[in-house]
Amino acid sequence: MRAASVPLPPALPRDLRLDFFRGLALICIFIDHIPENYLNYFTISAIGFFDAAEVFIFISGFTAALVYGRALAVRGVLIATVQVLRRAWQLYVAHIFLFVIFIAEVSYTVRAFNNPMYNEEMGVGDFLERPHIAVVQALLLQFQPTFLDILPLYIVMLLIFPAVLVCLRRHPMVALIPSALIYLEVQIFDVDMPAYPPGSVWTFNPLAWQFLFVLGAVLGHADTRSSGRAKLLALAYWPALAIAALALVIRLSWTFHGIWDAVPALFQHQLWPINKGNLSPIRLISFFALVMLAARWVAPQARFMRTTLAWPLVLCGRHSLEIFCLSILLSALGHFLMSEINTGFTMQLGVNVVGITVLCLTAGMLDWYRAVQQMPATTAQAMSEGSGGEV
Amino acid sequence: MNIRGRLIAGPVLAALGCLTMILAMAGGARAEPDDCTTPPEMTQTDAKLPHLAERLKAHQPATIVAIGGASTIGQAAGSPDLSYPHRLGQDLAQDFPDSPITVINKGVPRQTAKQMYERFATDVFAEDPVMVVWEVGINDAVRGTDLDDFAATLQSGVEELKNRAIDTILVDMQFSRSSATVINFDGYLNALHRVGDLAEVYVFPRFAMMRYWSEQKVFNFDDVAAEDRAKLAARVYDCLGRKLAETIQRAMP
Repeated sequence: MRAASVPLPPALPRDLRLDFFRGLALICIFIDHIPENYLNYFTISAIGFFDAAEVFIFISGFTAALVYGRALAVRGVLIATVQVLRRAWQLYVAHIFLFVIFIAEVSYTVRAFNNPMYNEEMGVGDFLERPHIAVVQALLLQFQPTFLDILPLYIVMLLIFPAVLVCLRRHPMVALIPSALIYLEVQIFDVDMPAYPPGSVWTFNPLAWQFLFVLGAVLGHADTRSSGRAKLLALAYWPALAIAALALVIRLSWTFHGIWDAVPALFQHQLWPINKGNLSPIRLISFFALVMLAARWVAPQARFMRTTLAWPLVLCGRHSLEIFCLSILLSALGHFLMSEINTGFTMQLGVNVVGITVLCLTAGMLDWYRAVQQMPATTAQAMSEGSGGEV
Repeated sequence: MNIRGRLIAGPVLAALGCLTMILAMAGGARAEPDDCTTPPEMTQTDAKLPHLAERLKAHQPATIVAIGGASTIGQAAGSPDLSYPHRLGQDLAQDFPDSPITVINKGVPRQTAKQMYERFATDVFAEDPVMVVWEVGINDAVRGTDLDDFAATLQSGVEELKNRAIDTILVDMQFSRSSATVINFDGYLNALHRVGDLAEVYVFPRFAMMRYWSEQKVFNFDDVAAEDRAKLAARVYDCLGRKLAETIQRAMP
């Protein structure tokens, strides 16, 4: 994402898949965050045991290694570290912005509705009861109300990332082995990250999810060095295909069972619930099977990604932070409208279509603006005049 | 309109008027002004309560434990005597006069599924119940308990009840529009119903019922004046207790 601002010698053509799939994940996050949205049946989480969060974190690790790995190689540890930390700061500011929106929504709703009848239990949790503590805990990333849980994870990932980068440069295994050991420890001993209010834990346990981020980084880093990625792909193709197909069948059977009782929910007794907070190995394996297939089936510059339908997703993925924040805002708004008015078909259609359109248009605008900024002054002026009417 | 038209129109209108009146009367007779009415599919159940059924059939006494949160203890109404377990006990006593039925209320406000589960030994098993009504999920949704942990706790609880030959009914969350706007119940509702589905335990759809009442303007759960809240809560608890009793009665062979 920040590759453009770092002057690097041989700029490889950007792997469009990263933007495309991250954009797709962002749209899915928007959809999944609206309760009772029928479109939920058709998001990434419908085809395997993972959801958009895995895609987002994995690709973020991948691109971080790509971008900052090259910065490290060219400009040294110090500059690369400062760049990573600056990015973490941007994410932090975005997180606080989202938190302010959350406060606005909660306070407005509670005030506007004259205190719900069942407030002994329904209360809005700890925020309105002890706002002075909740705000401080939010600043410390410890208070993570709904939707405000993935950016804290991402921020922590970036904070450890300079160390990961240095390890990666020695050898991928130097980064991967400690990461895997921590992940294993979480799986075996069920280690949690405590959060606020006391008794709750981080929705995305960073001790577990760091493994996915580092895995992404290892693969992303391998991109800049020559490595055995192709070999890995060839080796893993058939197992990946089998796993992905199996996961798809099982997952679909659960969906259909939910709609129609007569369809058996295969292995649901054994598999469900699949732990998301600790990134259950089932999620991880199911996700990686699909990563392998995507890597094999979709070329880095595959033409379909430049079609009118897919290009907006690429743009969303390219401006992921802005689009993520906007999607959180829009899904909260959509949820509000649906619970205030109705959850009928027209409403669903309206919320989804308007939301996705606004996300894509915003991404388009951001992209246009960045292009203008990067152009020499005179051309930029001409372009902004020429296309002024469109945007 | 000409004369002929008027001649025809007269009887037709009269007939239509009569028909409307008859329909209105029939309608009025069918639907008693009953607040608790819900669409039939909400109370349709294949709930199986074999142990309770056995007791009732043998005219033996039966103990039911209602474990849950503030709405189980009846906090919003002001007294456990106005809670839904109390109403449930009254209705069951009427329906099954041959068996002395005791409903024990073990509601404790602001508890998560896990905290309730930890009370099972002292509050549930110690009473030796034949059936448990477990009202659960609100506080987990409010506090944002990890969904998988929530589901896993429910599973352990339901499993343990089953192993001890205790029939179980799960009761899902309360609905109020303003709360549903701020708190995301969806995931917790899905998890709760899925646990019920997997363990073949009936989940009493309180959320759907209360939403129906809210949409039909039977009860308004929002914008309630402070002094009317307790009265409203008592009426809602009353309906819920009656519906629950109906469900149980329907589950008897």
